[in-house]
Amino acid sequence: MNLRSIERSTWIYIAIALLLFIVPFIVTGRSMQFILIQIFIFGIFAMSYDLLLGFTGIISFGHVMFFGIGAYSTAISLDRFDSTIPALLLGVVLALVIAAIVSFIVGILTLRLKSHFYAMLTLALAGLFLVAAEKWRSLSGGNDGFTFRLPELIRDSQSQYFLCLVSLIFIFFGLRRLTKSPFGKVLMSIRENEQRTESLGYTVLHYKVIASVVSGVIASFAGVLYIISLRFVNTSVFATDLTIDVLLMTIIGGVGTLIGPIIGAGLVEFAHHWLSGLSDVHWIFERWIILYGTVYILVVIFFPLGIVGTIQAKLFGRTVTKGLKDNKSKVS
Amino acid sequence: MDLVFSLLINGLATGMLIFLLAAGLTLIFGLMDVLNFAHGGLFIWGAYTGVWFYQMSDSFLLAIMVSIITGLLLGLITEKLIVRPVYGNHIQQILITLGFMLVLQELIKVVFGPDQKAVFPPGWLQGSFMVGDIVIIKYRLFIIVLGFLVFFLIFFILKRTRIGLIVRAGVIDKEMIQSLGINIRFVFMLVFMVGAAMAALSGMLHAPYSGVIYAEMGLEFSILAFIVVVIGGMGSFTGSLFAALLVGLAQAFMAYYFPALSLAVNMLLMATVLIFRPQGLFRVKG
Repeated sequence: MNLRSIERSTWIYIAIALLLFIVPFIVTGRSMQFILIQIFIFGIFAMSYDLLLGFTGIISFGHVMFFGIGAYSTAISLDRFDSTIPALLLGVVLALVIAAIVSFIVGILTLRLKSHFYAMLTLALAGLFLVAAEKWRSLSGGNDGFTFRLPELIRDSQSQYFLCLVSLIFIFFGLRRLTKSPFGKVLMSIRENEQRTESLGYTVLHYKVIASVVSGVIASFAGVLYIISLRFVNTSVFATDLTIDVLLMTIIGGVGTLIGPIIGAGLVEFAHHWLSGLSDVHWIFERWIILYGTVYILVVIFFPLGIVGTIQAKLFGRTVTKGLKDNKSKVS
Repeated sequence: MDLVFSLLINGLATGMLIFLLAAGLTLIFGLMDVLNFAHGGLFIWGAYTGVWFYQMSDSFLLAIMVSIITGLLLGLITEKLIVRPVYGNHIQQILITLGFMLVLQELIKVVFGPDQKAVFPPGWLQGSFMVGDIVIIKYRLFIIVLGFLVFFLIFFILKRTRIGLIVRAGVIDKEMIQSLGINIRFVFMLVFMVGAAMAALSGMLHAPYSGVIYAEMGLEFSILAFIVVVIGGMGSFTGSLFAALLVGLAQAFMAYYFPALSLAVNMLLMATVLIFRPQGLFRVKG
């Protein structure tokens, strides 16, 4: 392999990744490590969302259902069978397969229609999954949820840290490869102008469904990691709050950049951590969703490129990604 | 027989409430391609302000008026502050209205407190009466009658007045309307406000019907409204009535006969429509 053909940014990412491998030996505090693990997990989740929103221009309001599917499949598998690696792997496979099937069905039903349909159907379906998890007590344990034991190998927080970090790195480079491939270019051209892509001879629906399935599967994997880090599952993995979190991470970080959502995940996770600590200071911090929602609205209006998108625009003097500013030609 | 009839009444009442919410949604969408995810927020604000006034003044009809005024004002604010800055951009619109929905929902908890509130119908609407051997609950009948009144009022405005003509024509081709020298944005603002008022009215009527109000019910109920909009055909006013009644009835009957399936029945209805008739049952011709 010719080393020179690797882009400069790749070296930077590899350097950061290597630095992150040393971190758990320096930062040994459990709570700090836990926050970093959460950032990695939500980074993966937000990147999967970015593939839809940032690269393909599809809005999903029910992305959390794939997350929840991953969480529950793994948790139930570990709970029903013994807490061994094969049971975990069975859970992971189940999680990925179910997520692929669900995202395929949702995609095939709604992606040939206007973007509104996908947003609505996913919101409705996520609601359905939430209610199902609450009502199907024999399987899900209802609102109270249940705890379970993990296999020996990933029980301590250090090995969980490495597991999540390695997953994050693999998925990041995988998605980066995917979005820079010809397939990714077609996705971006769908985002920019769907009719023109169609008239160039691409079957737009196929590309959108594949993007939806890939995104759903990765989100489900994020759910698997999440549940491993918590050792506990309840219906909160289907809550709309998580969709909002992931929306916020993707949009603040910068849509269509992949690295942006990870940075966004870091910011939102630290904000969570600090804001919940501030609730003793003033009651408004208990209602932090108001702050989130306001920040979110302001970002969508005034800051549609996000952090990374804005920096790229400043550095390179051109908009690398068009961010949320989609083309006007879609308005029919 | 009387069981079927009372399920029918039940379903019609639920359907009417969904209709009031969905009708505004579908008109707003039809006219300007704006899908308002904050509609559920208008629903809860209508419910809370109406109930607050009702418990203060003890006058149910005045409380309904208060909730309608809240809806009009909030509709104006939403349109000016939230929808207008991102006109013509679908992705931003969808994202921003959802964000506003959350802000509205959380503000409810700040202003009125996070707990559920119990609400009862006023004395003159409590209880039931008998027709033959069929029991009719007064409040449900009240919802159905009021819903039909609103439907016919809006229907009349749409079919018989100049502004209605503009709205109907705008749904079909808004560029054409603009080129005729009509300020479509102003018309859209009016439609948005009326839609918001209907959502608020729906919330207010829903409060004594379900007996309790809470902040999350806006999102829950607006999901039903989305399903109705898809089934009825986006932009179709009459379609939203039929679809809402269909969803209400399906819910009522399934909840009684197959309670396990009552959750899924609406999703199945919507999936069926999406597969076989993705433009909805009543497509607006243009």
